[in-house]
Amino acid sequence: MGGVVGVYGFSKEWRMARFIYYSLLALQHRGQENCGIVTFNGETLNYYKGSGFVDQVFSKPETLEKLQGWIGIGSVSSISQENPEKIQPVIVWEPIPIALCYDGKILNFRELAEKEGINCEDEAEFLARLFSVELEKTGKPMEAIASFMGKVKGAYSLIALTGRGEMVVARDRCGVKPLTIGSFGFDYGVVASESCVMDVIGADFKNDIQPGEAYIFDEHSIERRQVLKPNPRFCAFEYVYYARPDSIINGKSIYEVRMKIGEELAKEHRVNGGEVVLGVPETAIPFAVAYSNKTRTPLGIGFVQTGRRVRSAIKPTEFERIVGVQLKLNPIRAAIAGKKVVLVDDSVVRGTTTKNTVNLMRNKMGAKEVHVRIGSPRLIAQCPFGTDVPPKDELIAVHLNAEEVSKVVGADTFHWLSLKGLVRSIGIPRKNLCLGCFTGKYPVLAG
Amino acid sequence: MVKVLLVGEAAREHAIAEALCRSNHNPKLYAIMRLNNPGIASLCKATNGEVILGNSQDPKAVVEAAKKFRVDFVFVGPEEPLFHGVSDELEREGIPCVGAKRGCAELEMSKAFMRRLMWKYRIPGRLRFKAFKNVEDAVAYIHEYAESVALKPARQAGGKGVKVIADLQAYLSQEKAHVKEEHTKAIHEKYMKDYTDIEDRILIEERVEGPEYTLQTFTDGRTVKPLPLVQDNKNAFEMDIGPETGGMGSIAGKGTFLPFITREEFERSVEIVRRCVRAVEKETGEKYKGIVSGQMMCTPSWGPTIIEFYSRLGDPEAVNVLPILKTDLIEVCEAIIDERLNKVKLEFEDVATVVKCIAPKGYPEERNLAKGHPVHVDVKSIEKKGCKVYFASTDLKPDGKIFSGGSRLVEIFGKGKTIPEAGEKVEACIPYVWLEDGWGVFHRSDIGSKQLLERRIEQANLIRAVYRYRAKKGLIGKTIEWIPKRGKIVLET
Repeated sequence: MGGVVGVYGFSKEWRMARFIYYSLLALQHRGQENCGIVTFNGETLNYYKGSGFVDQVFSKPETLEKLQGWIGIGSVSSISQENPEKIQPVIVWEPIPIALCYDGKILNFRELAEKEGINCEDEAEFLARLFSVELEKTGKPMEAIASFMGKVKGAYSLIALTGRGEMVVARDRCGVKPLTIGSFGFDYGVVASESCVMDVIGADFKNDIQPGEAYIFDEHSIERRQVLKPNPRFCAFEYVYYARPDSIINGKSIYEVRMKIGEELAKEHRVNGGEVVLGVPETAIPFAVAYSNKTRTPLGIGFVQTGRRVRSAIKPTEFERIVGVQLKLNPIRAAIAGKKVVLVDDSVVRGTTTKNTVNLMRNKMGAKEVHVRIGSPRLIAQCPFGTDVPPKDELIAVHLNAEEVSKVVGADTFHWLSLKGLVRSIGIPRKNLCLGCFTGKYPVLAG
Repeated sequence: MVKVLLVGEAAREHAIAEALCRSNHNPKLYAIMRLNNPGIASLCKATNGEVILGNSQDPKAVVEAAKKFRVDFVFVGPEEPLFHGVSDELEREGIPCVGAKRGCAELEMSKAFMRRLMWKYRIPGRLRFKAFKNVEDAVAYIHEYAESVALKPARQAGGKGVKVIADLQAYLSQEKAHVKEEHTKAIHEKYMKDYTDIEDRILIEERVEGPEYTLQTFTDGRTVKPLPLVQDNKNAFEMDIGPETGGMGSIAGKGTFLPFITREEFERSVEIVRRCVRAVEKETGEKYKGIVSGQMMCTPSWGPTIIEFYSRLGDPEAVNVLPILKTDLIEVCEAIIDERLNKVKLEFEDVATVVKCIAPKGYPEERNLAKGHPVHVDVKSIEKKGCKVYFASTDLKPDGKIFSGGSRLVEIFGKGKTIPEAGEKVEACIPYVWLEDGWGVFHRSDIGSKQLLERRIEQANLIRAVYRYRAKKGLIGKTIEWIPKRGKIVLET
C-alpha cells in the first residue's frame, strides 16, 4: 500500500519540495514505513528518502531546502525496505533518468522482466527501468507510457518524473487504486492518490484520473490520453478503511459512503435498547455517528488516543499491531460503565484487537453488554493488488461464523455488514467494484 | 456606400470585420494590420476594399491609411493603438472613430488610474490596492504583509504578467513569499520593461475569488449599451489547469445572462461600468466613444466587482456576440460617433454560443516555438457543421500559404439552444485545423461542457450566498476586525 503525489509548477520560481512534504503528510495514513521526495531543478533529479514517518524523515529543515526545483514527486509506503535506495520513488539513471513511484502491485512482474531482459529484483525499480527503456525507444513520454501500459498487468496508480522535467501519470485500466488531479490557479497542477492532498496544499480538486488514462505534463502542454479501454474495478476497501474521510475518490465522498455504511448497519443489525454507540477511532467514527442518528441511540466518545496517530492494522508485525491498538484505544470509563454498548469498528482481521477492546470494556470498565457491529463484510481473502490483508489462514472470517466470533471476542452479539449493504453504501455498480477481499473473486487485470 | 477602416489583426477584428460587412449600407472594408489576417483580407477583397500591412499601433500610419482611402470612419479593434493615441490623432484630422481616446483608454492602460478612480468616485465593486513606482518598495511591502494578493504590472501588458497568490496555509507562506518576490521582480524586469508611458510599475491588489465574466458595452459617452455576458476560460489546459493565456475559449447565453449570473448581478455590473464611464469623463474632460468592457468577478466582498477594464471588445469574447448581432453594426458605429446611441436598440439572436481557440504548442509561454508553422484550416467543412471560423494570429503570404504568428491560430464559433449543444458543434470542428509540418496544436475540449458549466454554477452559488450574507449584515464595502489591544476596526473595502 502506498500514497503518491506529483506537483508540476508552470513557472520556475516555484519551489515544490515543501508542497510535496505537506502532501505526504496528508497521505501518511496510506503508508507509514518509509517515504521519499524527488524534485527536478532543470538539471538533475534531487532526492531524499528514508524509513519512518514523513515528519521524522524530513525533520531537518535543510533537507527540504536542498530539494530544489519546480517539479516534484513523492510517496509514502507501508512496505518496509532494508535498502534505502529501494524506497520509493525509486530512481534509475540509465538509459534516461527516471524517478518513479506507484501504489499497487504488478502481477506479471517476473515474466515481463524476463521477456524484456531487464534483470532486477525490485518491482518499483523494474517499472522505472522499463519506462526508461521505452522512453529511449520512442523519444516521446506519451508513446512510452502507452507502450508501458500495454505490457504491464496489475493495479497501479503511478507517477514518474523524467530527467528532462516531464511528469508522467498513469492509472491501470481497472483503476483499482485511487488517483486524482487538481490545480492551483495558473501556477501548478497536482496529481495525488487522494483529493485531501489538494485541500492541504491549497489547490482545487478537479477530477479522478480515469482508469486506463495517462497524462504527460511538460513545458508546453498537459497531454491526456485514454491509453487503455477502461474497465473500472474500484477497490471497495478504500471506502471502508483506507482513504481519508475528507477525500473524494472515483466521484464518491468517503465521508458520505461511511455515513451510509452506518445507516446500513443500523438497518441490518439494529441493537434494541442500546444505551450508547461508540466508534473505534478513527475510521469507524462516521459509521457510529450515522448508526446513532438512524437508531436514535445516543452517541458517546469511547476512547482516547495516546501518542501519534498510527494505523495499527497495517503494521507489519503482530507486536506492533497490539502496541498500536493499546495506545490508540484507552477507554473512557464514564462512557461505558453500566451501559448496553454498541461498539462499531471498521473491520475484523484476526479478531485479536476486537477481543482486546471488548474485554477491556467488559472486565475493567464495567460495560453491561457489548454488541459489536463491523462496517465491512467478512474479510476472507488476501489482496493480490497490494492492500495489506494477511493470508487466509490468519483471517477469522474465513473460519468462524458471527455467533462463534462473538464468543471469541467476548461480545453479546457480533455482526458484519452485508456485501449488498456495502455496495449500496458506496453507490457504484457492483460490476465496477473490486470486492475481492470480501468474496475471494478478483478481477482479472488483462492489459 | 460606407467606407470603414478597421485597425487590428486578431480574431476579434475578424469578427468585427464580418459584422461590419453584414451591413445593409453597402460597406467597403479597409484594414490596417501588422499580420495579414486571412479572414479580414478576404472580407476586404469581397467588398472591394484594401489591406495595408503596417504598424496598426502608429497613429500616423492609421491617419495616412484613413486619408488615402477617404473612409467614413475608423474602427479600432485592439487596445495598443488606443494607448498610442490613434483616436486622438484621427480626431485632430477630423476623421470619425469608434475607439476610446488616450485619456479614456487610461481606464484599461493604467490599472492604478482605474483603481484610484473607483475609490475617488466611490464606485461599488472596487478593491483595495497599492501602486508602487519601484520594485524595492513593492518587495518590502510583500514581506511586511504576508497575505493573499494579486500582483499586476501597473500597465496593461498584453494581458500578461498577472499572478494571483492565495496565501492561506501558514505552513506554505514561506514558499509563497518567495514566489511573490520573484514575480514582483519579474513584473519590473520583464513585463513592464518596454513600457515607459506610465510612472507606476507594480500594482498589488487584494486577492478575490469567484466566477469571472466579461461585460462588453458600446458607449457614446452618454449611453452605455450592454452586450450579452460572456465567460472566457484563461487556463491553457482542460479542467482549468495550466498557465494563463489570453483565453482558450468562451461561452455565452442563452440570451443576455450567463447560467450562473443573475439579472440583478448583470444590472449591477452595467451600473458599475456606467459610473466609471461618467467618472472618466469628469476626470479627463473627454467623451468616451467606443467600447468599454468590464472584466468582472462575482466576489464575496461586493458581488459584481471590477477586476480590470478593457477599452475594447474582449478576445475571444467578441467572437461570441458579434456573429449573433442582428442590429446593423455600421448604424451602431454611426450612432456612437454622433452621440445618439440611446436611439439604437441592440438586438441579438436568442441563442447560446461557444467559442474555442486552437493554439500551437508553445503558446502561451514560448511563442517563438509556436511561430512560423504552415497552417491548414478546412473552412468549408467547419461551415458544413454549422460553425464559423475566425482567424487569429495567422499571416497570409502572397503565395496563398498561411503561417502561424505565435499566438492562438483560430477561434471557432458555434451556436445552439444550450451552451453544451453549441459546445459539441464546435468540438466537432477541431479536427479541421492543423499545422502542415506536424507541429502540435491544442484546445480545450471541456469549454462549453455540461460538467464545466455545473462547476461554474456551483462556484457562483457558493459566492452568492456569501455576499448576500454580507449584505444582510451591512458588510458590503467594508470588513470589521477586532485586533487585541487596538479594538474594533472598520476597514473600507
